Amino acid sequence: MWCLAIGLGLSLPLLAQVDFATKIHPILVTRCAPCHSGPTPQAGFSVESRTAILRSIKPFKPDESVLLRRIKAGEMPPVDEKLTPSQIASIQNWIAEGAPWTNTNPAELSDWVSPIKPRTPPLPANSASNPIDKFLTPHGDVIEDALFIRRATLDIWGLVPSAEATKQFIAAPDRERLIDSLLSDKRKYAESWISFWNDLLRNDQGVNYAGTRKSITPWLLAALENNMPFNQMAFALLNPTAPSDPDGFLTGVNWRGDINASQTPFMQAAQNSAQVFLGVNLKCASCHDSFINKYKLKQSYALAAMFSDTSDLELVRCDAKTGKHTGPEFLFPEVAEKPASNSLADRRKAAAQSFTSPENGRFARTVVNRYWQRLTGRGLVANVDDMDAKPSNPDLLDWLASDFTQHNYDLKYLIKLIMTSRSYGQPATRENLRRMTAEQFADSISEITGEWRVSQSGEKAVYAREWELKSTPLTRAMGRPIRDQVFTRREDAATTLQALELVNGDTLAIVLKRGALRLLGELPDAPQNLYDSRRMDKGSKPLDIDITGAKQLWLFVDDAGCYDPARTVAGWLDLKVDGKRVADLTTLSKTTTGTLTTDKVKHEAIVAPVGSLIMYPIEGLGFTRLTGAVGIDDGARSSDINPNVRFFVFTEKPDLERLLRVSGEPPTALPKPSRDPKVLIDQLFWEALSRKANPREVTVAMKLLAKQGGLEDLLWSLIMHPEFQYVQ
Amino acid sequence: MFNSSRRHFMQASAAATLAALTGSEARLLAGPKIEPRADSVILLWMAGGMAQTETFDPKKYTPYETGLASDKVLSTFPSIDTVVDNIKISEGLANIAKIMDRGTLIRSHRVGDLGFILHSRHQYHWHTGYAPPQSVAAPHMGAMISRTLGPRNPDLPAFIDIGQNIEIGGESDGLKAFHTAGFLGSEHSPFFITDPRDAASSTRPSEYVGATRFASRYQLYKELVEASSFQQESLRRSVNNAHRLLNSQAAKAFDLSLEPQKNFDKYNTGRFGQGCLLARRLIEQGARFVEVTSEYIPFRYWDTHENGHTRAAGMKQSIDMPVAQLIRDLEDRGLLNRTLVILASEFGRDMICEGKPGQEVKNQVDQPPVMTEPKHYGMHRHFTEAGSVLLFGGGVKRGFLYGKTADERPCRILENPVTIEDLHATIYHSLGIAADTGYEIEKRPFYVTKDGKGEAVMPLFA
Repeated sequence: MWCLAIGLGLSLPLLAQVDFATKIHPILVTRCAPCHSGPTPQAGFSVESRTAILRSIKPFKPDESVLLRRIKAGEMPPVDEKLTPSQIASIQNWIAEGAPWTNTNPAELSDWVSPIKPRTPPLPANSASNPIDKFLTPHGDVIEDALFIRRATLDIWGLVPSAEATKQFIAAPDRERLIDSLLSDKRKYAESWISFWNDLLRNDQGVNYAGTRKSITPWLLAALENNMPFNQMAFALLNPTAPSDPDGFLTGVNWRGDINASQTPFMQAAQNSAQVFLGVNLKCASCHDSFINKYKLKQSYALAAMFSDTSDLELVRCDAKTGKHTGPEFLFPEVAEKPASNSLADRRKAAAQSFTSPENGRFARTVVNRYWQRLTGRGLVANVDDMDAKPSNPDLLDWLASDFTQHNYDLKYLIKLIMTSRSYGQPATRENLRRMTAEQFADSISEITGEWRVSQSGEKAVYAREWELKSTPLTRAMGRPIRDQVFTRREDAATTLQALELVNGDTLAIVLKRGALRLLGELPDAPQNLYDSRRMDKGSKPLDIDITGAKQLWLFVDDAGCYDPARTVAGWLDLKVDGKRVADLTTLSKTTTGTLTTDKVKHEAIVAPVGSLIMYPIEGLGFTRLTGAVGIDDGARSSDINPNVRFFVFTEKPDLERLLRVSGEPPTALPKPSRDPKVLIDQLFWEALSRKANPREVTVAMKLLAKQGGLEDLLWSLIMHPEFQYVQ
Repeated sequence: MFNSSRRHFMQASAAATLAALTGSEARLLAGPKIEPRADSVILLWMAGGMAQTETFDPKKYTPYETGLASDKVLSTFPSIDTVVDNIKISEGLANIAKIMDRGTLIRSHRVGDLGFILHSRHQYHWHTGYAPPQSVAAPHMGAMISRTLGPRNPDLPAFIDIGQNIEIGGESDGLKAFHTAGFLGSEHSPFFITDPRDAASSTRPSEYVGATRFASRYQLYKELVEASSFQQESLRRSVNNAHRLLNSQAAKAFDLSLEPQKNFDKYNTGRFGQGCLLARRLIEQGARFVEVTSEYIPFRYWDTHENGHTRAAGMKQSIDMPVAQLIRDLEDRGLLNRTLVILASEFGRDMICEGKPGQEVKNQVDQPPVMTEPKHYGMHRHFTEAGSVLLFGGGVKRGFLYGKTADERPCRILENPVTIEDLHATIYHSLGIAADTGYEIEKRPFYVTKDGKGEAVMPLFA
């Protein structure tokens, strides 16, 4: 077995002059081992171990080493390219240094072999009521109720609990009931866990750089809302057949043009499915037999052949064709289902069956371990993508996996089982302390301030949670990935660049400014537009709206994605109020009148640069109708300008953060406004930190509120508070 | 080699412990020791594909006339002399012509053949050394340098990226994919300055808060946190670092209004020129890696299609004065020796060939065979066979010309081709980083040049 475990047993990052693990071993594995290994190595020479290789080298004496001589003579390797001068020099130096051999075989360091089949160890006999606790027998107290409801609400809904919910829970702290009630809100649960699955399934807007990949979002959201059994979810992802099935997962993330052999869509399908569902890293073994685990190039291609257009694939080693071929085969032969035929449909179906077979215990163990990590901060197998490694408690993992399988792969059941254990309720330690995810952070701030972003699909604009929208500089800084890779762990380090965004970024500053006004009851409802042209890139659109009783007319042109806004020529065309030219009305705004040509027709126009806001006071003039058109000048239709604008008419000063008419309710109830500092402090501490402010904190908060912009600053201080950002 | 005394912009956080446990933390695999010639880098990025024939590798000039066949035209500008005898460059670069004796011109930069022209993909390839998709998130060169050398001044982010708006619509996601530290972790991410005129406001208290309130807010925040029994040292330190940076002397480098008007004017050709000035100010204060881009927006700037001739003239006008002034200023301040300045682009251009001669790829834009109106003059396809690169400082030769392309179409490289791997190896070499320096991610090595195989072009060094 060829395995390279760099770093095992080494405490320093710096290795000897010639690093065996990175410089020598890869050469031996890729260029020598194909012939010189196994039970019958060519010419009797093996490079499989230091003992074996001593037959062809003499440590400290490169000149007397056959291996080096034959390489230098150009005789070895006999196929493909010769070794490069620097590779040869490395081998020479390595021998001269005594040919140190790092232990590259983890099997020699650990005798652990991860089982594939399910295993149901007996429950330990003790007084604990939750089965998990029977295995772990946690000592010590569980966290107090306020911390518990906070942790549980973040874990299930991705939100902090409301002040009322926390107070009610403290008065009647039934933890199991709380978990049931949180899980029963399908929407909030799904809108929280969808981010976890999007990370795993590489599902995000725009991460496909070539062709079309159907978003799997509608399917995924519904699957979570309906608590689709996990084996069915995986089956649909691996074998999409219905039009509503999520075929985007197998497509992977592609770029136009040539790609290296290890990243073709079917190789990505093999890598992604093995990683996500089996905790197996096939990335190395997609180029060559892996140096880091037991997987072979052939196994990667065999798995890929279950997803590829043709059932026979030629193995390509490091972008060089090998002439060897493979048909479809699942990674674990003991649980493999054979395809009924070589058709893609049958191969995919067999793949889905093999992955999700109840006999394939690895499938359940992998997802159980991921959920354990998500909920407790540390996987039973610490590296959730290496399920061949030894779990901290193999019996518990196996029992949980079997139990999950027996409960019909019910993810909510799994969450509840974990969350009702005393083990889950333990205080966080330094090792497993979790930080809020970017989505939890953004959504909780929206909940506290009432500032939700708006998502627009079709004609409708609705308040939306973070997951549904493009990331912002703030959420990118907080670790929301772009998902061009499978992400199985969020980066949660507190870095200076991140702090700069939190301390000084506009995204948060605007939310806090508006949120403070809302909490004080001073944020007027955003005026509703009377006209919205929708996105336009050329031509004109008519405008005809009722303005009876309006005191003012506000005309705004929004940049909807021009390549060159400064050279985009847009305007309000032939605009009239009850037949009277709007251009003749009095205004204090800067306006230019002229002509615009749209679709080769000339119009009289109020020329409106992108971003311009024009106001006409019309109170008492009795106008009832605004007519005309909006349009983009034909002259701006060039590739380097790429006009893209949107025209709005309001009869009150528009709130530029809220140009669209938003329908429906925000994801959580809006906060209650108050002008009483004590009331606000109490409310915000309960909302943000799930507790009452202590007297010292009240004093500091009062000092903050006494200043200009004080409420914004109190909000900022609370969301920057470690108790807010970390899940204790 | 790893030097433990190097100060890191951020100290390792508690979270790093978990990262180490789960094997997700990048571990340095050092290459051989090289004596560094430079401590910092300025990358002047000609985004969109700078036509080498209209800039630093001029060919026969053919003036416009209606009915001119596109394949008869190589350059749409006459060439001009530079202060170096054997180097002529394109008209419109008179200031750069005067400083050609300070650096090296490479005319034989051959970029990847990716089978299809996609600007963001070629830019990804150039900036990371790897063509996407990759099975791990590849770090930007600036992040690699930040991770390997750390910041020069702890009060400045090690990697500063000036001029690129990454929300540009269609290709935004392509840009985001490589403007990242990838697996090295967000600590090494670029600090973005989209518009140099806004740089000062990114590095002083937000206008939404104001300086006075900013200071008192932080004071009271600290008092508030102290009143709690739950503390997080890594968060405290990061917030403190951010405040320290925003109030530091070094942060004043971001404020272009502090530059004497006379100097400002020497750079001020717009955003790119101001970016060059900002880069100089940051290098003076100890920045490690600064990229200034002319910005990639499809069909704008160096992405010269329609009206290519007039657009190229405009682009040259925007870079000529500030690039020359940057080199002069660095030299005057004694910084050029230890700063490597690179001017490069994702590929060159040609009016006929899309891709490489003999390996043409699908045309991205219709190109008329005959010019019927002036907007067709200087329309270019994307040419990956040859592009020009300028290098100044960092130990490279002065007044040196390297590589040669044919004077006749298809203007192939005739000698000394320099690949991305080798150009990167050269850049890293200048910084004392071996081309096979790598990081271990998911237990596999990932090198600063592709597979560690880049070879520094030693004839470029003095």
